[in-house]
Amino acid sequence: MSFSLPRRSITRFSLSMVALSLTAIVLAGCAGEPSAGGDSATPVAGGTLTYASGDAEPTCLDPHVGGNYPQALVGTQFVESLVSENAKGQIIPWLATKWTHGSDGLSWTFSLKPNVKFTDGTPFDAAAVKANVEHIQDPATGSSTGYLALAKVKSVTVEDPHTVTFQLSSPDSALLESLTQPWLAMESPTALKRAQAVNCQTPVGTGPFMVKDWKKQDSITLVRNPHYTSPPADAKHSGKAYLNEIVWRFIPDSASRYAALQAGEVDVIDNAQPDTIVAAKKTKALTELNAPRPGASNRIELNSGKAPFNDEKVREAFVKSADVNAGIKSLFFGTAKRSYSALSSVEKLGYSQPSLFSYDPTAANTLLDQAGWTQRDSSGYRVKDGVRLSVVFPVSTNQSIPAEQSLFQQIQATAKKTGFDVQLEPMDLSSWYTALAKDQYNAVSAPYTKVGPDVLRILYDSAGITPAPSGYFANLSQLNDPQLDTLLTQASATTDATTRADLYTKAQKIILGGYYILPLYDQQNHYLLRTNVVGLRALPSVSTPTFYDAWLRR
Amino acid sequence: MTFAAVHTAGADLDSASRPGGRALRWLITRLAGCLFVLVAAATITFFALRLIPGDPAQAVLGGPGSQASEAALNHAREEYGLNQPLIVQYLLQLGRYATGDLGTSYSLHEPVATVIGQQLGNTLILAITSLAAAWLFALLLAMWSARGGRIGTAIGSGLEIVAAAVPHFWLATVLILLFSSTLGWLPAVNVPGPIGLVLPTITLAVPLAGFLGQVMRESLLDATASPFVQSVRARGESELGVLWRHTLRHAALPAISLSAWALGSLISGAVVVETIFARPGIGRTLLAAVSDRDVPLVSGIVLVVALVYVLMTVLADVMDRLADPRLRVTRR
Repeated sequence: MSFSLPRRSITRFSLSMVALSLTAIVLAGCAGEPSAGGDSATPVAGGTLTYASGDAEPTCLDPHVGGNYPQALVGTQFVESLVSENAKGQIIPWLATKWTHGSDGLSWTFSLKPNVKFTDGTPFDAAAVKANVEHIQDPATGSSTGYLALAKVKSVTVEDPHTVTFQLSSPDSALLESLTQPWLAMESPTALKRAQAVNCQTPVGTGPFMVKDWKKQDSITLVRNPHYTSPPADAKHSGKAYLNEIVWRFIPDSASRYAALQAGEVDVIDNAQPDTIVAAKKTKALTELNAPRPGASNRIELNSGKAPFNDEKVREAFVKSADVNAGIKSLFFGTAKRSYSALSSVEKLGYSQPSLFSYDPTAANTLLDQAGWTQRDSSGYRVKDGVRLSVVFPVSTNQSIPAEQSLFQQIQATAKKTGFDVQLEPMDLSSWYTALAKDQYNAVSAPYTKVGPDVLRILYDSAGITPAPSGYFANLSQLNDPQLDTLLTQASATTDATTRADLYTKAQKIILGGYYILPLYDQQNHYLLRTNVVGLRALPSVSTPTFYDAWLRR
Repeated sequence: MTFAAVHTAGADLDSASRPGGRALRWLITRLAGCLFVLVAAATITFFALRLIPGDPAQAVLGGPGSQASEAALNHAREEYGLNQPLIVQYLLQLGRYATGDLGTSYSLHEPVATVIGQQLGNTLILAITSLAAAWLFALLLAMWSARGGRIGTAIGSGLEIVAAAVPHFWLATVLILLFSSTLGWLPAVNVPGPIGLVLPTITLAVPLAGFLGQVMRESLLDATASPFVQSVRARGESELGVLWRHTLRHAALPAISLSAWALGSLISGAVVVETIFARPGIGRTLLAAVSDRDVPLVSGIVLVVALVYVLMTVLADVMDRLADPRLRVTRR
């Protein structure tokens, strides 16, 4: 998961105002595994590629510490996981070559790839895996994402130098999916023994690149690992990477980032906004890589823990009052596809139910009348027992891109017609989390990235209503249904794939059918690159770009 | 921070008979004023950050919304003293400042002094080049409009008002669209070397030039109309000579006093400009630190900026005296 993916955006007129009079080319839609520039020319080694990230600059490059998406983005280049995922959603070998589990699901044994060394020369072996799990579980590390993912891991045993066993406290069907994530990647145990500040500056992994230098607020310089031997099973080549060097820059402003890409000052940008994606498609010099993030879809959670959304009829009325499709069409210019699921479209076990989410103001009005919201005040808002039908909706300006904030305004406008007083409250990330922790919301949109459908347990199990010590809680719709809890617990413990899929479908039917959420679209994750960048793809696990197979055409 | 300027300006006015004692008194009052500004800045920042929503312990554990475990939170609170009462934390911080220790950043896990050391230079370079450019723009505009009669004045003052009103973020985008995206002359984001400074400098300088120009043009007009200029002209001094040797000094005086304030405003403008042009610097660091509720880093930056501001105010006073012989004469 990623708890913060700030996309700082200073609102102002968009770059689309520039007349781009270049010939439009139609980009081939990338079904399945997203990749760009996939031509069959012979790769050329060498060169420096400049990447510009619109995500916040990490405060620590070790993805064990904290654990957010900006760390995963850059971490993918220099640290590697035990396993990965292919485009079909299957778990494939990476640093582990094979794995088995006991019949009780409580012990998982991994065989490790031999002759792999961290870039500081430390061998990658069973002891290193044990040291990494212990590092993530040590409170002094301050790991959040990795720590949660390893919640069921009780201990790690070294069987022999290349075999390691994870002992679990209870069965975890999501263990392999969790292990694909960069927040649980393997780092050199020698390097981990250094002071945290030092390890944050130059973490050491087994990846195709290594951190050479980090100039804060400016760039991270990554250089090729000359001894690299350990690509994931779905990589396009073996041996070392093609690029000599990657300069990883931070350009928080969306318009500047795009202008720098156009000018050729950078080769790849992330967090491309709808207007720039459309502009890029009109020029031959740029291509798009669309890699929706896994986990939950972007959706509006309706707080069923208190009035007015504790009444299912009112929730349904709100869902039917919101003209989401019209808003997405006019604000995202075809760059975002409407979702009708709680899960991202890249999740193979996602279940969609479009019929529930059609715009139907007439039905909404009837529902509100039935629910007793029969009066309207002078402003046209519905009233019941002297209370207005208000929906307090805190909006994180860090997490919601400008187009999404505009979409919320359109929803506010269409919901007003049926009598909802939607109060949008833009705030910064800290204030937003505080508002949620204090239960000061009726509706909220919160992204959640995690590999696999187990994200449903985090988001909708009633245990997620109780705030963590940090005040954080994930069940923002405050869905409290014992039947759903049972389904999600069973699904997370079963080792049978068919049973698991069936249980998750049943669970999603409860979430969608109870109108606890209003799905919008996948978590948007668009990259734009210059056409001379070939072979870039996003890892199917958390959709971070990997530059191992990438090269520069000259 | 404006009260510092008022306070120190007041200190300038007193004049006793013994030059040594007077200078000492002036110095002591001055230093006390500076100290007050610094303590006030540290205090306001500390309480403002702790009273707005958000938990600084989360900054230690990866930022807002971290799902940190209780053990990790307790560890962080203990390590950074966040489990003590607020007033104790405040006093401890002041105590550290008294010994010259700016503390350790929650989010970057690095000493605040190191972080500021890495970033302050970049921002100061930007602020100083912008100030110089603003002076140049303002001076040229003032000279041109003061010579242009009523029409010149009208155009000049119109341009100044527009320039002063232009927001940085808007100007920056327009400049990028024009000079980078359309003409391709200048880089859109920071590159090493002076060329990367051009657009950020113009962005910061133009609104400031509007303010400075307004002040300069008025004093220039006043000076040009004053009797001493007429007598200089009667002596046969050329127009250029009048301008260079006489009226320009008058025009510069109020602008010099404004420059200390201007530097402060440039540093705040740097928050926007550094973000848009992706320049490393203290403005961007400050923005990230505020979002993370990184109290030591925000306080440290505010304190250092306040210090720069205070020093600049003193420097502006000295410059004032150098440029204006009357100040020197009356105080001797």
